[in-house]
Amino acid sequence: MRKLSFIIGAVIFAVFLPTFADMYLIHVASSIMIFMCLALSWDMMLRTGQLSFGTAGFFGLGAYAAIIAVDDFSVSPVMSIFIGAIFAALIALGLGVAVLRLREMYFAITTLALTSVFMVLARNLSNLTGGAAGKILFHAIFDGDPKKIYWLILSFAIVVIALSEVFERTRIKYAISSIRNDELVAKSCGINIFKYLLFVFIITSAIQGAAGAIYAQQYAFVEPESTFSSNFLLLPVAMALVGGIYSTPGPIVGAIVLGFASEYLKLLMPYGHLIIYGIIIILTIIFLRKGVYGTILDKVRSK
Amino acid sequence: MKKIMNLYILFFLMLFLVALFRPYAFFYGLQRGSLYSLVALPLALILGIVGLLNLAHGDLLTLGLYLGYILFNQLRFDPIFSVIVIAPILFIIGFVVYKLTIERVLKSHHLNLLLITFGVSITLVEFINLLWTSRPRNVYVPYATKSINIFGINVGAYEFLYIAASIGVLLLIVFILKKTRFGQAAFAVGQNPKGAAIVGINVKLVYTITFSLATAMIAIAASLMIPRVSIFPHLGGPFTMRSFCLTAMAGLGNLPGIVLSGITLGLAEAIVQSIPGYSGWSDLVFFGVLILVIALKGYRRAVR
Repeated sequence: MRKLSFIIGAVIFAVFLPTFADMYLIHVASSIMIFMCLALSWDMMLRTGQLSFGTAGFFGLGAYAAIIAVDDFSVSPVMSIFIGAIFAALIALGLGVAVLRLREMYFAITTLALTSVFMVLARNLSNLTGGAAGKILFHAIFDGDPKKIYWLILSFAIVVIALSEVFERTRIKYAISSIRNDELVAKSCGINIFKYLLFVFIITSAIQGAAGAIYAQQYAFVEPESTFSSNFLLLPVAMALVGGIYSTPGPIVGAIVLGFASEYLKLLMPYGHLIIYGIIIILTIIFLRKGVYGTILDKVRSK
Repeated sequence: MKKIMNLYILFFLMLFLVALFRPYAFFYGLQRGSLYSLVALPLALILGIVGLLNLAHGDLLTLGLYLGYILFNQLRFDPIFSVIVIAPILFIIGFVVYKLTIERVLKSHHLNLLLITFGVSITLVEFINLLWTSRPRNVYVPYATKSINIFGINVGAYEFLYIAASIGVLLLIVFILKKTRFGQAAFAVGQNPKGAAIVGINVKLVYTITFSLATAMIAIAASLMIPRVSIFPHLGGPFTMRSFCLTAMAGLGNLPGIVLSGITLGLAEAIVQSIPGYSGWSDLVFFGVLILVIALKGYRRAVR
């Protein structure tokens, strides 16, 4: 019961945040929630035992799809977010059939390479994507009203959190954790491994695509280097690891902690503040295997 | 055995055809391909013996390049000879990185291994960024820009060193693995770590030395590349990817295959670049082949 009231309190706080916070805080909270969604989607894929480095790639795909939909086909900006998600999901379906046969490092490096492939495509298909210069829209979504954008991102984040909880609480959880722990056992229990992997891959890619679409609509531009930037891979990975993997609260806690920390670090050292993320990844893997959330949970339980 | 012979015949036929129809692409691709395989060989060594994909491989190369740049700039050290200094430094860096990070997670889940090298890679890139900023650096030495005339075609003379070096490093690795006591121990560990430990090989030591030695070998590629590239912090990323691509294409434990596939892909890249209007697409060659090869291999495994 305490847990439920805490969740309701947090949601109410998040919904009414823009009414009393200043613009800067709203902006920071919006970008933290985008990264939170990416971290959750990365973690959802990791729960099946597959390490994906393709987060930035599908993020960029969604961003490009949304901007092109608005610019060339005059779709409404809110609809374009769905288009970004659907486009990323379709590409994930096509690629997943081949890529998901791979395991371990082969899967990881192929997804990493996919990001570069998407970037090269975006740079070279200049008729459609505007080439190296990218594409700029005249109007940001909601004419750039930060409060409305905040609520849009918040509702998206709630959908993603709910999806992640569905993955944690339904029978999907048993299927994907058994795939993670031992594929042979999973197979002999009658689980269609490939079907589940493809399902999770498509869902997570759609989340990443939608996140990219929202991000692109918020700033109203796409450009190969910054849209497919490795930040959209590095930060979510660091956030999920710090918070604790294989859970919903883990990446959320990690995103909030690291998100505010990075805002502070950006002011402290404008160049190369990303080195902190690298060191954090190394340190959490060596010393804090369960992440901040998992460690606290263990401490509380042992008392 | 016959299959391998056929592959070699096919390879030389391809070389001949490219040389006949696209002579510029032939020389350029040969040189670039050798450079790629020169960088890929140490990665393959680590992958084969330690069983670890080092995502920080290319960034160690970048670090080596910066070290060479500093040696040249401060002490007027000739880039080619700077390998004498860079190699020991990289050996120590490799040793420290291995002892501090990788060894601690070697026994845990394989995902942790990949993630930790990813973390090392980011840390290295940002460390370089912090120390030397992202401004590109160049080293100019007169002998590196000389060209020679072969059958009426002007090609860079310096780059032929890449070909010699890649073959040299290949022979060196094969010699170490086959003839030295350490190499045979490493070979045994690569095949079966538990069995090697039972017969009294110090597996931990072999892993450490292999990782450090392979890191030191990157110095050879770094010292040769210094005069011919713009040095910037993110230079290494694509090299990691290409190296893995070559290793995957050749198959684990097939060291000569890495040089052959390196040259093949270098030629393919050069041919794409030589088509007017499509030069931007050449980056896709490697990634396309990587995805294709890995997917085919995975598919074959799944069918079996």
